[in-house]
Amino acid sequence: MSSAGPVRAIPLGPVILGALLAILYVFLYAPILYVIYTSVSADIVWPFPPAFSLQSYADLFDSSLYGAAMGNSLIIGFGSATLSTVLATAAGIGLLRHRSRRRGLALLVLLAPLFVADLLIGISTLAFNARVLGLPGNMYSAIAGNAIQGTSFALLIILSQLVRYDWQMDEAAMVFGAGPVRCFLEITLPTIWPCLLGAFLIAFILGFNNLEISFYNLGAIPTLPSVAWGSLRFGLGPELFALAALTNGLVFTVFAVMYGLMRSGIVRFGYRGR
Amino acid sequence: MAAIAQTLRVRPRRDFRFAWLVGPGVAFIVVALLVPLLAIVVFSFWRTESYELYADWNLGNYRTLLTEPAYHIFLARSFIGAVAVSAICLIYAWPVAYFIARYGGRYRLLLVLMLAAPFFTGVILRITALQGLFGPVGLINMTLGELGLPLLTALMYTQLAAVVGHVYLFMPFMVTAVYLSLVNFDFELLEVAKINGARPWRAFVEITWPLNWIGTAIGLVLVFIPCLASAVTPRFLGGPDATSFGMSLAQQFGETGTWALGSAMGVVLFGVSCLAILGMSYTINLRRGGFTGTRA
Repeated sequence: MSSAGPVRAIPLGPVILGALLAILYVFLYAPILYVIYTSVSADIVWPFPPAFSLQSYADLFDSSLYGAAMGNSLIIGFGSATLSTVLATAAGIGLLRHRSRRRGLALLVLLAPLFVADLLIGISTLAFNARVLGLPGNMYSAIAGNAIQGTSFALLIILSQLVRYDWQMDEAAMVFGAGPVRCFLEITLPTIWPCLLGAFLIAFILGFNNLEISFYNLGAIPTLPSVAWGSLRFGLGPELFALAALTNGLVFTVFAVMYGLMRSGIVRFGYRGR
Repeated sequence: MAAIAQTLRVRPRRDFRFAWLVGPGVAFIVVALLVPLLAIVVFSFWRTESYELYADWNLGNYRTLLTEPAYHIFLARSFIGAVAVSAICLIYAWPVAYFIARYGGRYRLLLVLMLAAPFFTGVILRITALQGLFGPVGLINMTLGELGLPLLTALMYTQLAAVVGHVYLFMPFMVTAVYLSLVNFDFELLEVAKINGARPWRAFVEITWPLNWIGTAIGLVLVFIPCLASAVTPRFLGGPDATSFGMSLAQQFGETGTWALGSAMGVVLFGVSCLAILGMSYTINLRRGGFTGTRA
């Protein structure tokens, strides 16, 4: 493993690099904090000087549109992440463990979606569904559409983590009579689950918040991004800020829990250093 | 144990397993991505009339794209913007990813996930928030106004604002790609270089950089491709003179309903992306690149 280089005499380098990371976090999170701040302020267009109100949260829970949109986004996120992770896990194991002449070609096809923009996936699936299959917008194509890139991202994460996996453990289990499924469930999965979780999470985030692929595949069915997109023309609804604030609250809570677990070393999330 | 496993290995069966494991993913991508892309290639040679596609084969859409200067400007604008954003992301992401991979210790995963977390807030909201911070009536400018200082106008509905927006949206991809490469890089190699008298800078240029170039190249592609096609960000941050190729393309499938021309634009976009990727792939030397991670 790489992390444990000997301690240097000059810690200046790491300090500068760390500062760059901190600046990046500030840049990335300033707009997020702005969203949270705006969600509790009385006027979302000009929220200064501070005047607080929880009206946007009340509106959020009264409105049925946002509930439906949230539900659809969650279904798309979970559906496409599940599909992506299953396909990418199988493909990742196949690529790393079993040699084949078609390995290069298979890898090229599996990573090809990374080289195609969302917009292009959106319009091409729309054109294909509407004009060739005669299908109206539906959730299944939205899930499939989002799983296209999800599979590539998941595979990228899985491959980069699994190159160091020792397949001899699996072969040992097989020698002692475990079938491939049992071997996967009892040997492979317990070791690689953090990386599968990471792949699932990334695929989920991509599907949950995708605007262009979902928009073109769904037509009139609302998702959170498409509701935001739609309401942008006549000013964003304060409810959206409230919803984003709640989502971020949940994410930060999960991170805090993860930090606690990592700090105490109860769960190592795949880290095998010191 | 390995020896026993070795003797049990049967060639044809292993090939069969490869097909079973990798096949579904490949089949899915072919059906869900390549077939629809083929459909828009076909449509690009058709004709649209009052929102309907007609299958009479012609090159009119491509002629329009070649002769209409507006489309050249849109494409050039998108291309230059994408190159600038990729370059900025490349320069900034490397030190950050290096820090996480080398000094992140047990918190590495958390540090990387924190880069991905902003994605939980939708693109539209984050762009709106950027406007709320940098825009004409945003937090920064109102504060500057209160203090009687000149306003920061460079970030108000300009191309620069669109670049900042894209860097904001795509930087995490670049950092993650470089990080995933560095995490599999064997930092001991640098110790070897040092023992053999290489200065840190030389060790970086000759060892770290080339051995992590594949991951870096993937990161560059992940930033470049969506920037080139970007439609939403320039629309809200770029102002009136920032119409991008993607915006125009989205219009063909929305307001104007000229699907055939839109398909041709899609094909052009795909072609330009492929050329960029091809150019990139020439820089990759498979024998030098790749993972150096030692097996456990």
